[in-house]
Amino acid sequence: MTPYWEFAKKAFAREATYRFEVFTNVGSLILRVYLLRCLWTALYAQNAAPLNLPLHAMITYATVALLMSLVLEIDGTRLIREKLHDGSIATDLMKPIDLPLYFFSDGMGRTLLYAVLVIPTLLCALLLVRIDVPSPHVLAAFALSFALAYCVNFVLNFCMNAVAFWTLETFAIQLIVRWVSDLLSGQIIPLTLFPGIAGRVLFALPFAAIYSTPLLLYVGIIPQSQWASAFAVQIIWLLAFGAIATLLWRAASRRIVVQGG
Amino acid sequence: MHEPAPIVETRDLRKVFRTVRRRPGALGALRTLFSRDYEERIAVSNVTMSVDAGELVGYIGQNGAGKSTTIKMLTGILVPSGGEIRVAGIVPYENRKQNARNIGVVFGQRSQLYWDLPLVESFELLRAIYAIPRERYQRNVDEFTDLLEMREFLNTPVRQLSLGQRMRGDFAAAMLHDPAIVYLDEPTIGLDVVAKEAIRAFITRVNTERGTTVILTTHDLADVERLCRRIVLIDHGSIIYDGDVERIKSEYGRFRTLVVTFAAAVESPALPGAELAGVQGTTARFRFDRNGERADRLIRIASERYPLEDVSIEEPDLESIIRRIYREGYEQRTEEATR
Repeated sequence: MTPYWEFAKKAFAREATYRFEVFTNVGSLILRVYLLRCLWTALYAQNAAPLNLPLHAMITYATVALLMSLVLEIDGTRLIREKLHDGSIATDLMKPIDLPLYFFSDGMGRTLLYAVLVIPTLLCALLLVRIDVPSPHVLAAFALSFALAYCVNFVLNFCMNAVAFWTLETFAIQLIVRWVSDLLSGQIIPLTLFPGIAGRVLFALPFAAIYSTPLLLYVGIIPQSQWASAFAVQIIWLLAFGAIATLLWRAASRRIVVQGG
Repeated sequence: MHEPAPIVETRDLRKVFRTVRRRPGALGALRTLFSRDYEERIAVSNVTMSVDAGELVGYIGQNGAGKSTTIKMLTGILVPSGGEIRVAGIVPYENRKQNARNIGVVFGQRSQLYWDLPLVESFELLRAIYAIPRERYQRNVDEFTDLLEMREFLNTPVRQLSLGQRMRGDFAAAMLHDPAIVYLDEPTIGLDVVAKEAIRAFITRVNTERGTTVILTTHDLADVERLCRRIVLIDHGSIIYDGDVERIKSEYGRFRTLVVTFAAAVESPALPGAELAGVQGTTARFRFDRNGERADRLIRIASERYPLEDVSIEEPDLESIIRRIYREGYEQRTEEATR
């Protein structure tokens, strides 16, 4: 059994000990599902619905986006920042482990806890909103796209947190990137609603690979004929940022090794 | 037993840190933000030492003397600026992960245990990290649990442990994978007498029964007197003494101190055969060579010359010896004495 599986298990157990935090997270999410339903319903009542996105699809989109965020907002790589701050990265480097993999598995463990919670959260949410459920093969495509989105999200977060090796403090960057990426990734507003050039630019950014692609697959805006190219774009972003993350890590670990923990 | 062979070797080891020079004041901080000058600080220079397998060496120095920097280079998390290191035949900074399998590390000021988890789960995690075979793991956990009396808190989350309990946990954690070498960095800092004693007994046992090589850095020289036969003294980044604890004690131990308290203040007191080492109020300290002078003679002379209130003799302990070496620098006392 590899240590990384064990890291994930421990992270799962550790996260579960913070019961209050977990329940607050889930509770606030259900509340947000309800509020978004009210918001979109009100907005749609004021204006004509966009062509390809009727109200029920919009509410489905917003609800699934929130459920995704339960998993995607877990940032395993924030450990990098914490460990640089308290210096415990030095003790980790004294162990025969691969640190990026360690961060990934730790994040994965915490993610799994929330993934388990998605089901009861979904059931609670369904008491408040009605969402569309697509056919099984669309669900399967969504699952695959979501898995890719998780990995893209991980490498992007990794790059961002690795900046802490040089600046020590990345909180401001985190905050900005989080706000921007929530908006630009289509978590809050579907990218199809952005007009003309703005929409085209947003689709070309890596953030679209995180929320927009799986969600548009789910609500059927990306038809089956375009699935392959949608996955391909996600994979390209994953590889590109994976490469940047590797380079950053190499430079960063050299840096820590030269500077001292 | 086995032939002693060097397991840790360094030659002309050197480490220079480059740090940003900060300017004072708010304006200075702003200027530091945009333009930086660097200053170089030599943390370690010309450290050459060799430690045999199975040795227990005290690595002693003041704060900032270069102890931790040396240890970090030995663990492979710091790249030397110059010189060579080999630990169990491996260059640590080139093969960090491979080196990590051979070593165990305990920091008194930093725990490697997982804060939120019960102690035993940290052990489980280490079993996975080092791929320790299950029966060996179980044997070690059982043995360490007995030796360090950890049974009652094995299932307590680490954050609820007392410092003494946590340190015992950390020691067990560092030894689970049977490392050939352990580095102990201030392992008894902040511990009470009982906990210190438990830790010292554990170190001795690991060293003698398992043949583990131990390199111990500490400020507590009682640790060194209890545990080490050999010490390496480092000051301002360089080694100033490397040898037996007993030798340094006998060299410096030749000199005892006669402490005399006068009934009234005495101007420049003097005793033939002893050297005035200091005066504080009505108390004077005289240093004399144990081989050339007798304490009872000095006391007699003193009592004839001055009105005395109290007299005592101080034998040098390691702490005062080391303190003097820091102050005066180490010199070969034996030569001076046989002169």
